[in-house]
Amino acid sequence: MLLIRRRAGQSLRIGGDVEIHIAELSPSRVTIGISAPREVAVTRSELALTERQNVAAAESLGPEALAKLAGGLRLAR
Amino acid sequence: MFGTAMPHCDTKYFGTIAYDEASALQFPAGLPGFENERWFVSLQQPEHQPLVFLQSLSTPNLCFVALPAKAIEPSFELEAEEADLELLGAGSAQTTVLLNLALITILETGITANLFAPVVINTANLRAVQAIAPSRRYSHVHPLAEIPEAVCS
Repeated sequence: MLLIRRRAGQSLRIGGDVEIHIAELSPSRVTIGISAPREVAVTRSELALTERQNVAAAESLGPEALAKLAGGLRLAR
Repeated sequence: MFGTAMPHCDTKYFGTIAYDEASALQFPAGLPGFENERWFVSLQQPEHQPLVFLQSLSTPNLCFVALPAKAIEPSFELEAEEADLELLGAGSAQTTVLLNLALITILETGITANLFAPVVINTANLRAVQAIAPSRRYSHVHPLAEIPEAVCS
C-alpha cells in the first residue's frame, strides 16, 4: 500500500480525474473531500463489507439450514 | 383467517401467512445491498427460538435469519452513527427502546453472526435501520457454531 503524508488543506490526485482533498483533521478522524467523475462510485469500505455480508446472509440460508441452526449455537444464557 | 382483513404474504420458509399490518417494520433506507426492501415482518416460531426471521414483504424469497445481539454477546453495546439514530426517529435515546438483531450467515465453515452491523429496531415506532458501527469492535462474522456433519446426510 502506498502511504503519503498530507496536511489539512492539501490534496492529491488519483489518475487524471480523481482528486482527494484533506479538508479537516482532528485527533481521531479526518474529513476528506472527493472530486470524481459521476460514474466513479465512492463508497465507505464498511458499507461494501456490510453489503457483501447481507447478500451472503440472504443467499446462504435455505430451509435445510434451519436444522443446523436449531442445535449447537453458542449462545449466552 | 376467520373473515378478518389481515393481509397475507408469501414467505421463504413458512408458506403463506397472515400478518398484522401494524406490526410491519419499516426500513426507511432499506438494507445495504437491498436498498429497495423497505418493509419486513419479524416472525418467531416456538421450534426455532430464539431465532428471529425478518421476512421481506415485497420479495417472498428474501428472509434474513437473526438473533438478538445480546443473546450472542451479553455485553453488546450499540454503536450507531447520528444519521442512523435520526432514521430510527430515536431522538430521545434515553427513553427509546432499541432492539439489536444480528443477521446470520451460513458459510461452509460454520454459522456466523454480523455484530458489526446489527439491524436496529425502534420498538416504539417500528422503524429499523442496519447500523454500521463506526468502530471495528465487533466482527461481521462472529462465530456461532460449527456445522455438525450429522446434519449433512
